[in-house]
Amino acid sequence: MPDVTEPLLSVQHLKKYFPIHRGVFGSVAAHVKAVDDISFTINKGETFGLVGESGCGKTTAGRVVLRLLEPDSGTIRFDGVDLLSLGKHDLRRKRRDMQIIFQDPYASLNPRMTIRTIVGEPFAIHGIASGSERDDRVADLLKTVGLDSSVMNRYPHEFSGGQRQRIGIARALALKPKLIVADEPVSALDVSIQAQIINLLADLQQQFGLTYLFISHAIPVIEHISTRIGVMYLGKLVEVGTSRQICSAPKHPYTQALLSAVPIPDPAARKQRVVLRGDVPTPINPPPGCRFHTRCPIAVDRCKIEEPPLRQIEDGRDAACHEI
Amino acid sequence: MTDVLEVKNLKTYFFTDEGIVKAVDDVSFSVAKGKTLGLVGESGCGKSVTAMSISRLISPPGRMVGGQILLNGRDLVPLSEREMRQVRGAQISMIFQEPMTALNPVLTVGYQIAEAVLAHEKVSKKEAWSRAVDAMKAVAIPDPEKRAKDYPHQLSGGMRQRIMIAMALVCNPAIVIADEPTTALDVTIQAQILELLDSLRERYHLSLILISHDLGVIAEVAETVAVMYAGKIVEIGPAMNVFHNPKHPYTEGLLRSVPRLGSSANAGEAKGRLYAIEGSVPNLLHLPNGCSFAPRCYKKTVECTLSEIPLEAVDEGHLTEVRCIHA
Repeated sequence: MPDVTEPLLSVQHLKKYFPIHRGVFGSVAAHVKAVDDISFTINKGETFGLVGESGCGKTTAGRVVLRLLEPDSGTIRFDGVDLLSLGKHDLRRKRRDMQIIFQDPYASLNPRMTIRTIVGEPFAIHGIASGSERDDRVADLLKTVGLDSSVMNRYPHEFSGGQRQRIGIARALALKPKLIVADEPVSALDVSIQAQIINLLADLQQQFGLTYLFISHAIPVIEHISTRIGVMYLGKLVEVGTSRQICSAPKHPYTQALLSAVPIPDPAARKQRVVLRGDVPTPINPPPGCRFHTRCPIAVDRCKIEEPPLRQIEDGRDAACHEI
Repeated sequence: MTDVLEVKNLKTYFFTDEGIVKAVDDVSFSVAKGKTLGLVGESGCGKSVTAMSISRLISPPGRMVGGQILLNGRDLVPLSEREMRQVRGAQISMIFQEPMTALNPVLTVGYQIAEAVLAHEKVSKKEAWSRAVDAMKAVAIPDPEKRAKDYPHQLSGGMRQRIMIAMALVCNPAIVIADEPTTALDVTIQAQILELLDSLRERYHLSLILISHDLGVIAEVAETVAVMYAGKIVEIGPAMNVFHNPKHPYTEGLLRSVPRLGSSANAGEAKGRLYAIEGSVPNLLHLPNGCSFAPRCYKKTVECTLSEIPLEAVDEGHLTEVRCIHA
């Protein structure tokens, strides 16, 4: 059966290596393989969660998808166009449809700008609406994210972390994007505020038909908000499936260990967990074969030599493991 | 059961230009030998200031203005700074959140652990070094003789936190205060460190105060849980009671607002909304009258705002105490 709906975003064999230079003008000594051949698709209106530990490449993947970083190879198809073929001018036009929300609401808002300028900046950049019309739109956006329009003349330092994150969200919404990359949007927030922002993001998705690429290290948050989840380890996707498949019945040994490590807020649930030994190896010189084999409880000799491809193991679920 | 540490009516205020911030306001709790007290709350609730007050690490404009800190029955408050230095690091030791900033980058980790021994005990340098290596072995650092000669940057975050724990344990303290010890770590490494802390507590009958914003971490290791809000304990009791039958609306709200693992199992993809506590934490300079949580509370009545609400036992065994007139 032919695919009726093309995914909003389709990423194929994406790679991003960062060179490490020796000395000040030195030659390239090695590469950090931050994103190493990942492929995934996101359908319109869904939330794709990218989860993994620090250094797994999830943030780099998010940036490359928006071409905030240029990939080394691979293809990115977004909304019917090949994103990597676009020139500077066309890319800027296309960027209206793709926005980002950052983790740190303190670092991502210019402290010298008023809220009016911050939220109105996307209009200024793209030459849309000016004067009182722009102000009206900014006021609307602020209302949409649950802030009073009277805050327009105030500065970021006058707001709490949760309110700042709302301002960042208002800015991301300004140009009515189709895709929003949310990079750890609630990680810097307190628990009670985190729930408010997660609810807001869900409401906005409904209201505007938004599609999210939601990046986080917090598995319960990812599970709550995502339709589908991709688990990353050392630059690779090791398992992709629906949030229920991943979180209720993980198949990849890394996903299993990751889920088992999540502390449960219930003292009665203290459990025998799969505690992984050792640390995450460096992505500069990742282990050969399966990158997880150095910590894997079920690794066999083959895993040390042969890299397992990401393959479909059941309907809707892919995993990269020889032993499944 | 003997209490190793008893904190009575602790008050630590910060005297700022804008006014007095009552960061810790009348906090009392005790920790029994071999037990773990979990101190949980959001940023600014006073949990870290409580820890710093116990080890007298508060600097101006902050000042401890009242209360007693009894360590094995001896009040630490009247001690001179010189006497306190003998207590700090030897009888009370601390583990901080960020192991990279807590360690000196230009000294080997073995030297830094040995330094703690030399500061408190009359032993030879050689003896101190071998104690350091033993402590590293106790926290399960592989090949401790060799690793002791490493500098902090040569170790991973998880290993550095193990060094901090080794340093905290090397003088056999009566109580260890761990302030967000796993917050900077990845979840698989966090699991290792929590497991380590719990096994050390069991092996050495350590008393532990674990401070965290993460309810999951607290539930993993604490027998007794104290929930703080705006400088006060709002609920304290056995972990089972606090987590399964929260009596204070703030505790209840916190527990309901965290996304739970397994949320997609029942609800499928339509997971609905999270419970959210409205509003945000009040400014400690301008606390509302009566209950500080009242402006965000769904049970709020006029009585809540009239006067200070006391912390009172709510069950027959007097195990759980709650600061709420509607509990």
